[in-house]
Amino acid sequence: MKTASKMIHRAVLAAVVLVAATLMTSASALAQQFEKIENIPKQEIPAGRFVGIAYGIIWLAVLTYVLLVAGGLKRVNHEIADLKRRFGSGGDGSRS
Amino acid sequence: MRSLGIGFWIALLLAAAGFLIVPTLILNAPIEPVMGLVQKIFYFHVPCAIMLFLSTFVCAGGSIAFLFKGSERGDRLAVAAAELSVLFGICVLTSGPLWGRKAWGVWWQWDARLTSSLLLFLMMVGYLIARRYGGPAGRKLSAALALFAAINVPLVYKSVDIWRTVHPQTTVVPKLDARMRPAFWSAFFLMTLVWALLLMIRVRLERARGELATLRLDAEDLAEVNR
Repeated sequence: MKTASKMIHRAVLAAVVLVAATLMTSASALAQQFEKIENIPKQEIPAGRFVGIAYGIIWLAVLTYVLLVAGGLKRVNHEIADLKRRFGSGGDGSRS
Repeated sequence: MRSLGIGFWIALLLAAAGFLIVPTLILNAPIEPVMGLVQKIFYFHVPCAIMLFLSTFVCAGGSIAFLFKGSERGDRLAVAAAELSVLFGICVLTSGPLWGRKAWGVWWQWDARLTSSLLLFLMMVGYLIARRYGGPAGRKLSAALALFAAINVPLVYKSVDIWRTVHPQTTVVPKLDARMRPAFWSAFFLMTLVWALLLMIRVRLERARGELATLRLDAEDLAEVNR
């Protein structure tokens, strides 16, 4: 029983050493593969354009909304006037 | 049809003046040394976010009046404010990523502030969808949703202080460089004016729609009587 336990212990230890050795080998291999790259083209993000787009979107959204609401208001008022004209003599526009 | 009040015209005049003054102040404000020119998005991004919060609170207030007192006026105010929440939500969620792309190198980050803001925006979109397609119970359903959205607002605001995020903290505005303050506060004032004007005309549209619906019902009644 004691011998079997010792054997398992040794087997686990051997496995750990093997895994560690494999990892270290691949890590050192990766480190050797590293190459320093010179003159990488720097990514330039145009800030001015971004600021312009952001302001443009905000005011375009507000303007579109104003136009939509104004259009809706015009249409509804037109319908109200039309209904009042047709049924004007029949009531004051309030539901009794 | 009621005519527009004097307050509306004064606000419109001030907003028109603001459109000339605010861009000049923003252009003359110093360039932030770390982020550079792109930081100028801040002058409208933050006021838009505040308008998103304000609209959500107004929507919740109107919804409470509608839910507990049956106030039609409250309901009209709520739907107008909900649309403004979505409008300013679009402004915040498009100007933010443009700023983030330059400052952080990415368009979007699933951090607490950005995610909770997106959730708030989606809740307000949900409000409008529930109202439009929710059938007879749609108005009450959306009003209840507005209350949840309002609860989310403090969470969105404090998220940058509670969790570790890439987004600047709430101390940015109080600690703002003195030379940047006139540009920021004038932009904030302009945005508030625009918000108030939009709310006024949107409530007006809702009132007109209500009047039209009443007139249609009257017309149907009249046609029934004449038959």
